[in-house]
Amino acid sequence: MTRAWRMAALAALIVVLVIALTPYVWLFMTSIKSRLDALADTPVWLFTPTFEHYPKVFLDKGYLPMVFNSLVVAGTVTVLSLAVGVPGAYVFARHRFPGKEDLFFFFLTTRMAPPISVVVPMFLLFSYVGLVDTRTSVILAHSTFNLSLVVWMMRGFFEDIPREIDEAAQMDGHTKAGMFFRVLLPIAAPGIAATAVLCFILSWNEFLYALILVAFESRTLTVGIPGLVTPHGTLWGQVAAVAIVATLPIIVFTFLVQKHLVRGLTFGAVKG
Amino acid sequence: MKNENRMTFGRLPRVAAAATVVLGLIASAGPAGAWSLEEASAPYKGTTIRTIGEALPPLEAMDKLKHIFEERTGITVVIEMYEHSEAVNKVMLDLNSKRGRYDFILQPHRELGRFVANGHLTPIEKFMDDPKLRDPGFKPEDVLYQGLWKEISWYEGKPYGFPFTALTMYLWYRDDLLQDPKEQAGFKAKFGYDMQVPATWEQYRDLAEWFTRPDEGFYGTAIQGRRHEALWYEWLNFLYSFDGDMMEASSGSECGPIIVNSPAAVASLDYYKSLIEYSPSDTLNYFWDDVMVAMQQGKVFELIMWNDATYAVEDPSQSTVSGKMGFDIVPQGDGGKVGQVEGWTYLIPEYATNQEAAFLFIQWMMEFDQQLEQHMNGGASARPDVYGHPTVQEITYSKASMDTNAVAIAKPTIPESPEITEILVLELSNALAGKKSSQQALDDAAVSMGKLLGDCAPLKFPVM
Amino acid sequence: MSVRKRVDRLLDKGVGPLFLAPSVLLLVVLLLGPFIYMVVLSFTDLSYALPGRDGNFLGFDNYRRLMRDDPVFWESFRTTLTFVFGVVSTEFVLGFALASLLFHQIQRRRFVLTLLLIPMMLAPVTVGLMWKLMLQGEFGMLTHYLRAAGLLDPQTALLGDHRLVLWIVMLVDVWEWTPFVTLVILAGLLSLPREPFEAAIMDGARPWQVFRDMTVPLLRPILALVALLRGIDAFKEFDKVFILTGGGPGNATELLSIYTWRINFRNWDLGYGATSAFMVYLVVLILCAVFYKAIYWRAGGGQG
Repeated sequence: MTRAWRMAALAALIVVLVIALTPYVWLFMTSIKSRLDALADTPVWLFTPTFEHYPKVFLDKGYLPMVFNSLVVAGTVTVLSLAVGVPGAYVFARHRFPGKEDLFFFFLTTRMAPPISVVVPMFLLFSYVGLVDTRTSVILAHSTFNLSLVVWMMRGFFEDIPREIDEAAQMDGHTKAGMFFRVLLPIAAPGIAATAVLCFILSWNEFLYALILVAFESRTLTVGIPGLVTPHGTLWGQVAAVAIVATLPIIVFTFLVQKHLVRGLTFGAVKG
Repeated sequence: MKNENRMTFGRLPRVAAAATVVLGLIASAGPAGAWSLEEASAPYKGTTIRTIGEALPPLEAMDKLKHIFEERTGITVVIEMYEHSEAVNKVMLDLNSKRGRYDFILQPHRELGRFVANGHLTPIEKFMDDPKLRDPGFKPEDVLYQGLWKEISWYEGKPYGFPFTALTMYLWYRDDLLQDPKEQAGFKAKFGYDMQVPATWEQYRDLAEWFTRPDEGFYGTAIQGRRHEALWYEWLNFLYSFDGDMMEASSGSECGPIIVNSPAAVASLDYYKSLIEYSPSDTLNYFWDDVMVAMQQGKVFELIMWNDATYAVEDPSQSTVSGKMGFDIVPQGDGGKVGQVEGWTYLIPEYATNQEAAFLFIQWMMEFDQQLEQHMNGGASARPDVYGHPTVQEITYSKASMDTNAVAIAKPTIPESPEITEILVLELSNALAGKKSSQQALDDAAVSMGKLLGDCAPLKFPVM
Repeated sequence: MSVRKRVDRLLDKGVGPLFLAPSVLLLVVLLLGPFIYMVVLSFTDLSYALPGRDGNFLGFDNYRRLMRDDPVFWESFRTTLTFVFGVVSTEFVLGFALASLLFHQIQRRRFVLTLLLIPMMLAPVTVGLMWKLMLQGEFGMLTHYLRAAGLLDPQTALLGDHRLVLWIVMLVDVWEWTPFVTLVILAGLLSLPREPFEAAIMDGARPWQVFRDMTVPLLRPILALVALLRGIDAFKEFDKVFILTGGGPGNATELLSIYTWRINFRNWDLGYGATSAFMVYLVVLILCAVFYKAIYWRAGGGQG
């Protein structure tokens, strides 16, 4: 392509990047601005940063436990979804049985369930069994959509492993289960890692289930964000601080997992 | 029937203050009564009671005070703090699932009817009549504003708790600007009369117009126009002041003919709409938090706002206008001097596991010392002796608060009342957005309310 | 058979059901259960607010009410459809353009792509918050520059004007999800074989001809996939609109999910709320079925 096209393309790309990243940068800046700077009539780009909002909201206001809660919930959801979903995905990849694709479709619908449709019955069912006051209710709720993500994603990864490997392992004397644990899993490890990260991100970011199902001590960060909009005045510095901390793991993980994102986000239909 | 709802206090504060001091002296001078908190709470030592409320200074004050109670009784108190709608939602979910998570709750009084009608609450008499629990020195019928107590914590003739905060709305304005000679001269030149604290709605609007200077980033007023309860609360001031109301009923727990679309009501909504042009550009996205920030940042001249938010605008650490403010009762229209009663009340759920311990805590919180402390920290007590206290009297906005409390009009507390609020919030929002005329919006609201309430609330102004 | 052999047999033949059962069980209990309960609820009058409405059977009354007596629901439906069509088509066009740009012109794709992905990886709540901050009427950064450029007058705030607010909310969604469309289409472009394109260009075909007659048809399954995925997610949209506007002003941005939330958590009319919830779920289910056909059409018969 000609030079001119090149330049134009580069310029367009820069514009796009600026549009994509400025809101986040602005949020970060707000989290380190004094209240006067943050609420100034004319947007302030150069200012003396202050880090007062972070300790104020996390220590004084007690938001630090929420970080912990988010970590525990997202972590447990990931482990649970993987433990249950990866073996299931293997079965879809390698076995044939009647109604297989219908069952697979069922898994898809669970991923697509609108939270608003399901959250009230879920809450009622959880209260009958006395689970509502714990983190368990949120963990279970998040597993519903992550489980199908795991199955869908890992099915593709397992299908990518040539059947010859299976056959070789079986000739070596492994049982099917043994082969799965000792041979296939290590090979599929990168896929599992990518899936794990996606699970974690989706659970970490989730809002509605956490809002309704969680009790005071087990509140996650995403639920804490709207809670800072109070009649004291929305403390934008603190809200921004919480939001930034909530995004840190996500940014890190995005860099780690971007190679496999396409597969995950399109349910394995596109390899990327 | 509106007059029956007006509460007159007159000299009550001073008399009650004096009486309490005298009684207190007598009580402490005489032989110790048989009842003591330590004895009464002994059977409950080691238990934990849990409550939930709105994350605001009165609750934070309670949080700071509770250690005294905990040390005296050995009962641990856990306080869950949420923002307004979450505090209401979580309680609703807990009561209906009958889990008994909360041993006592703090709720807006409008929810009371709903809870009672569904059998969720234990009347407070159960504990008040129990000599083991009841402190004979605590006589709510003597030490509380009776009108406020009845409106906030009673339903269908029975008390279910005590007022946690007794809220009302009144006028905030920038006294420094009002006293400024340059402003005074310019105003007089334009409008032909002296600038003064607005006593009528015409004056309110003139002042708003005078002070609206968008290029300076300063506006006359700001309305809480977001689709949120705040809108309904704010509009009620106008509605009542224009001599309108939502229903004709002699108490909050009854329903009566719907008059929300009366000519007076429509006039009040038209007037309310007219204030939009003197408000900041996104006033239709504001609720109580945003208008308060606007005032704190020195961006508006006058507002109709809450008594329990006033401390924040007078606090130098968060407000640029502290010390410059003035407060007064809401301007008057045909309805004369009016205000509204709003409050959060202590309530004890039927399913609570530690009802007695909870009651002891509530009773303790209602004592003068705790009430004073809470009030001084941004609370809104319902005890006249607190208002009579010299330190409280010095607070710039105490008088406005008391004056408004004296003329407050009750709101509906029937089980349908939160839904009524939702209907009105929607239609008011539509009217403010310009999607419907005031008449249309209030007619639609009346029709929806009629459908909701059925035969007990016919439309006094039928819609064609 | 010895115990050892029996165990081995199990670990061999029983693997299928053994490995699959836990996930099916979990999903049946956690999702099918609530789903069925939701359907059941929709036939009752359960209300937390009004006494006496303890879940008495109502037959189809709730459904009749929804169909005939609830203009707010249908307005919400229309708003949601506008939202869905608007965002999906815009994200499509922009995403395709961006993907082509990256495909043809840019070398260090991975790094750029990762940066571009940030909008879509953030929590929707955070996205709503960021834009609320920037669009705030008095100190919002964007509001200020728009006014300075003369595009917005001082008395209008984007989030407070009921004529503009839906478009703004749609723009925020476009900002958030275009990276997703870009990512998938780019992956698709990368997976296309080179030879036919090179051959076509050597035969003298012009770029737009190549695009129209080769790129698009070959990418069609992927495009369908993206459109459907975004369509379904847009239909379910809740978090960021809830934070940005709460459904207002008026009902300008009251999407179906927000309306359902209001019925359930403001009016506490759980029976009717379940009816609304079911309708939302139904539409999503239908879209899912269409989507499913699309990806299996693409794979030409399915995998495994």
